[in-house]
This record gives sequence, C-alpha cells and structure tokens, in this order.
Amino acid sequence: MVLEAAGLVKHYGEHPALKGLDLQVNAGEVFCLLGANGAGKTTTIQLFLGFIEPTAGSAKIMGMEVRDHGLETKKHLAYIPENVMLYPNLTGLENLSYFATLAECSNTSPDHLVATLERAGLPTDAVHRPVGNYSKGMRQKVGIAMAMAREASLLLLDEPTSGLDPKASNEFSQLVASLRDQGVAVLMATHDLFRSREVGTHIGIMKRGELVARFDAADVSHTDLERIYLEHMRD
Amino acid sequence: MASRSPLIRAVVRKEIQEVVRDGRLRVLGVLVLILALAALAFGVQQTHRAQHARDHASERSESQWQGQGEKNPHVAAHYGTHVFAPTSAATAIDPGVSAYMGRAVKLEAHKRNLASHSAAQDSGGLQRMGAFSVASVLLQLVPLLIIALGYGLWSRERERGTLRQVLSCGVERRSLLWGKGLALALLVGSLLLPAALVVIGVLLWLGGGSTDTLLRIGMLVLAYGLYFVIYGALTLYASATLRAPRGALVVLVGVWAMFSLVTPRAATEVAGVLAPLPSEAAWARAVEKSLESGVDGTTTKDEAVEAITDDLLAAQGLSDTGMMVDEGFLAGFELRAESQWEDSIYDHHMRDLEDRVAHQESWVGRLGLFSPFVAMRALSAGLCGTDFAHHRHFTDQAETWRKSMVNQLNQAFVDNAGADGWEYRAGPELWKKVKPFEYAPPSPMLALQTHWVSLLSLVLWTIAGLLLAARSARRLEVV
Repeated sequence: MVLEAAGLVKHYGEHPALKGLDLQVNAGEVFCLLGANGAGKTTTIQLFLGFIEPTAGSAKIMGMEVRDHGLETKKHLAYIPENVMLYPNLTGLENLSYFATLAECSNTSPDHLVATLERAGLPTDAVHRPVGNYSKGMRQKVGIAMAMAREASLLLLDEPTSGLDPKASNEFSQLVASLRDQGVAVLMATHDLFRSREVGTHIGIMKRGELVARFDAADVSHTDLERIYLEHMRD
Repeated sequence: MASRSPLIRAVVRKEIQEVVRDGRLRVLGVLVLILALAALAFGVQQTHRAQHARDHASERSESQWQGQGEKNPHVAAHYGTHVFAPTSAATAIDPGVSAYMGRAVKLEAHKRNLASHSAAQDSGGLQRMGAFSVASVLLQLVPLLIIALGYGLWSRERERGTLRQVLSCGVERRSLLWGKGLALALLVGSLLLPAALVVIGVLLWLGGGSTDTLLRIGMLVLAYGLYFVIYGALTLYASATLRAPRGALVVLVGVWAMFSLVTPRAATEVAGVLAPLPSEAAWARAVEKSLESGVDGTTTKDEAVEAITDDLLAAQGLSDTGMMVDEGFLAGFELRAESQWEDSIYDHHMRDLEDRVAHQESWVGRLGLFSPFVAMRALSAGLCGTDFAHHRHFTDQAETWRKSMVNQLNQAFVDNAGADGWEYRAGPELWKKVKPFEYAPPSPMLALQTHWVSLLSLVLWTIAGLLLAARSARRLEVV
C-alpha cells in the first residue's frame, strides 16, 4: 500500500476540517476525492505532505508515518497543486533542474531533463524560455515533468486541472493516466467529475470532513457519477 | 554537510540567478559603488586637507620656536609651542569623533590647555551636517542593501507558493537556510567587493602598508563582516517569520531605523544623564578654584609651592635656610615647584574630565547591546583610531611632552642663570636641545581594549541572529 489514512482527524481551532478519514491507495490506482469547497480535500493532501499536523489518526506513505518521517515520505511523492508555482525568471529547464536537485533525483543531466519536459508535453521551444510567460497548462506540464523526473511512487494532485482549457485538461489527464499505468499511485482532489471518471480507479465523495461515499470508477457512468455527487451535495 | 552541498549549491545558484535576472543586482551594485567611492573621495580629500594643514602648522610652529631669539628659558616656556593631532589613513574611512575633537594643543608653562581647532569648528556646513564617510555607508546603507536583497528570501517563496513546491521535494530546511544565507552573503559580497578593493587600496596607499595599517584593516573587515552577518541573519529571520514580503520589508526597515537612528540618539542621551560632563566654562572655573586653594579647597597656592620648593631643595641637600644661593638658582626651583603644583591640579581635573568622557563612552558601549549599529560605530571609530581613547592617548603624550619641555627649560634656568637671575637669556642652542614632539600612535589593540563591550555585543548579536534565523527556518509555516 502506497498511501493510507486511518482515522485521520484535523481540527482548525474548534472547527473540524477532517473527521476520521479512512483511505488507502495502492500502486497503479488513482483515488479521486470529489467534494465542494471546504469538504476537506486539500486538508487531506496537506496532511500527507506534512505541511500540517493531524489532530488525531494516522497518515502513512509507503508504510511510514508522515508525522515521524517527513523527509523520507516526501522522497516517494510528487505534488502538483492547482497552480504549479515556479520561479518566473528561470527557464522551464532551470526550474526542473532546481527541483530535481532538491529532490535528489538520480539523473539531473540537462539532456535527461529536457527529454522529461518534452515527454510531459512541453513544447521544445519553451524549454529554454523563462516560465514567467508560460500558460497555466505549460506550468502544469512542468509539474508533471517534476513527478516524472523524481520517479515518484505517489502523486498528490490538488485540483490540478482547475482553470485549464479542455484540451490542456485532457492532455494533463492523459499524462496522469500514463503514470498510473506505470504503477504510480495517485490521490487527486478535484471538482472535475468528468476527469475523475476518466482517469480515476476509485472515487470518493467528501462532505464536511467525511468521506460519505466511495466506489470504483468503473462501476459508475458519467451520468451516475453526477447524480450521486449532486445527491450528496443536496443533503 | 558534505552530502548536502549539492543541494546548498543549487539553492545558492537559484537565488543568485533570480536576483541577477530581475535587475536588482545591477542597480544596487552601481549605487553602492557610487556611494562608497564618493564617500572615499570625500574622506581622502578631508584627510589630505587635514594632513596638509597639520604639516603646514607644525612647520610654522617649529620655525617660530627655533626663531624666537634670545630670552629667558622660562619666558620661552611661556611662549610655548603647538602640537597637532596626527591624521591617520583610517580617518579617511571613519572620521569617528575626530572631527569634533580639537586637533591642536597649545603647550605652555603653567597651563594645560584643552585641544582646540576641531574640524567641525573650522569647516563649513557640510561637516556639521554629519560626516558622510565610508563608515556611514557601511554602517547605515549596507544594512539596507542586505534588507533589500534578503527580505523576500523566505517570504516571497511562501507568498508565490514555490515554498510548498520546494518543501514537497523532501529537502531539509537547514539546507535551504544555508543556501539562502550563502547566496545573500555572496550577493552582498559581490556588490561590496569592488568598492572594498578600492577602499583597501587607498587605505594602504595612505597608510604606506604598515603592519599597523594592515592589522587595522584586517580587524575592520572582520568586525564589519560580523555586523553584516547580524543584519543578514535578522533579515532571514524576519523573512521566515512574517507571512508577507511587504510586511517583512516594513518590519526590517523599522528595525534598521530603531538600531541606526533611535538607539544611538537614545544611548547618547542616556549616557549624558548617567555620566554628565561639565561645560568648558564650568571646568575652567573648577581648575581656577583648585589652583587658588588646592583640589581639597584648603591649601593655598603659596603654601603648596613653598612646601614643594623646600622638598626640591632638600632633595638637593640645600635645606639649610642659612645657605647662600643665587637668585636665579632659587627662582628656578620655585618655578619647578610651581609647575609641579599646577601640573597636579591640571592632571586631577583633566583625568576627571577624561574619565567622565570615557565613562560616557562606556555607557554608550553597554547600550550597544541593544543595537549592533551603536556597537559597530564605536568599534569602527576605535579601529580607525578616531575615537576618544585615541584622542586621549594623543593629548596625554602631548601633556607628558609639555611637562618635560617646561622642566627642561626651568632646569636650564636653574643651571645657567646664576647671579643674572631673571636677566639670564638663553639662545637658539637651547631651543634646539628641546626635542620636537613626536607622537607614537598606540597599537590597534587599544581599540579592542577600549571597545571590548562593543565587540562582545557584536558577537552576541551574531549568535542570537544566527540562532533566530535557524529557529525560524525550522518552524517555518508553509500553509
């Protein structure tokens, strides 16, 4: 098991953001977390990143407790937020090289990194341009390239296709699916029902800090998924 | 550390690339170079002018002394001469309080004069508006440069979201801190290096590359290095602690103003209250009173001089009142006794005055614990030989020479006047025998002895700053 949450609880002061989440993601699985804003999706991702501490419960990556093994667990994951934030004065290659060095990737040679950026779908002519004038889709592709360069076992995606045009969104989803097929485990928080059905192997619906429904993506059609989601949102 | 060095190198390279590419470095580099060179040119010009004036006045004073013609040696002692404070090469870097201390001392019989003709008195408005010097650039502007380059090192990363991206890579915060700190040091160093090379070159040229000058330069470089590390560490701390870059910038500029503008003024005022100085007129009145009735207020001058004369005569085996001695011989002894009495009074009051000034400086030094600027300012002036301790060293040597000169002339009176008494006249051969005043400057260690509290304060600030920077990096909030 790559990722596991057991009775995971997070309170912000008096406010409970997560109420005892139980969740597992194995290699080659994509678990999509759906839910309205404030449902606890981002909180879940941040708990696995170790950016915040859980109030109770356990968050494990590769069997290691995130709270106790912050650095080691991060060596296994890659994180792509809604907006992949990069250094605007550096080129795409320089950004990737920097993050790959920080992550202590085995191969940080320029040729390898250029090839990785190209595999992630970044146009060749953009590789050596400062990312300050990249589109959001191009920045997300650099994010994917980071995950590829790191050869991560786990991908944590926080609304990665939000704001992307349909073409870019589709390209991004295909890249995620490709990583999934290579055995990468993915936990993706998203509002995009269509994409979650496309790339997800499992889908969970979160509401007010609880996972109120979970099912295999293959068991539902797009229409069923929308209906189930809206039913939960109405309650 | 070795295993982390590729990470640290990557962070250093990235930070430098960012600053170089956004154009900040060029603008700041040109600004620093212009300011430092302007300050240096101003300092060199001031030093040259002071040196020229000093040489000219020294020559004139010496030729007046030698050309004073024939006269009684004691009259010559009254005529006296002037000696002039040295202008060291380091004055071009940090004029310290030298501009406000007198540069010339009139040395004459019966009187210890305060140094007069300060640069601030003699020059125009520019000097009085505050010295613009290399030291003022280093003390006040370089910290602003460090703040400008470093306030966003953490806070900008957090604001634009790259910090999450970075920390998700599983990199140790300590490595990031090292990288950012080294990058800041390299950036500031690269900006200061051209100016520093010019300044050190000029300093060596002015100072002739003596061991003393080299030692002073070395200690200055180390002390300013510590001072900049303090600002660098505090900048990293504020950048990590405060959420927004703008907030970090505002707070850091506020701290700079507190250190550089408010605390020095407050320290001077507090020291003035804790160790008040008499006005020049009040001091002169107190000396006058003591000359009439002794320091204890009960001994008249005539009684004291008579007692000292008796002692001097007794020391020569001439205590029997019945012995016949020449008028000039006796007058010479009386003059020596009078000098001894006056010297003791002047020494007492001067020591008291100088101790009070030193006490004030010591209070300012202690208050430097609240401001690295205050501590560094004192240390910088000390290392450049432009603080009060160096001024005191000079005036003490001048006074020693005055006593010796007056003694030598009075002794010539005793030895040669014979029956001529006050009619005796000495000539140029005696004036030549009076060895000219040659000031032997103190070792640079005087600065460390005088300002050890300031040095300690800088070391403590450095340790505190580095600990704060390390702690803030450990506790950095990402979300």
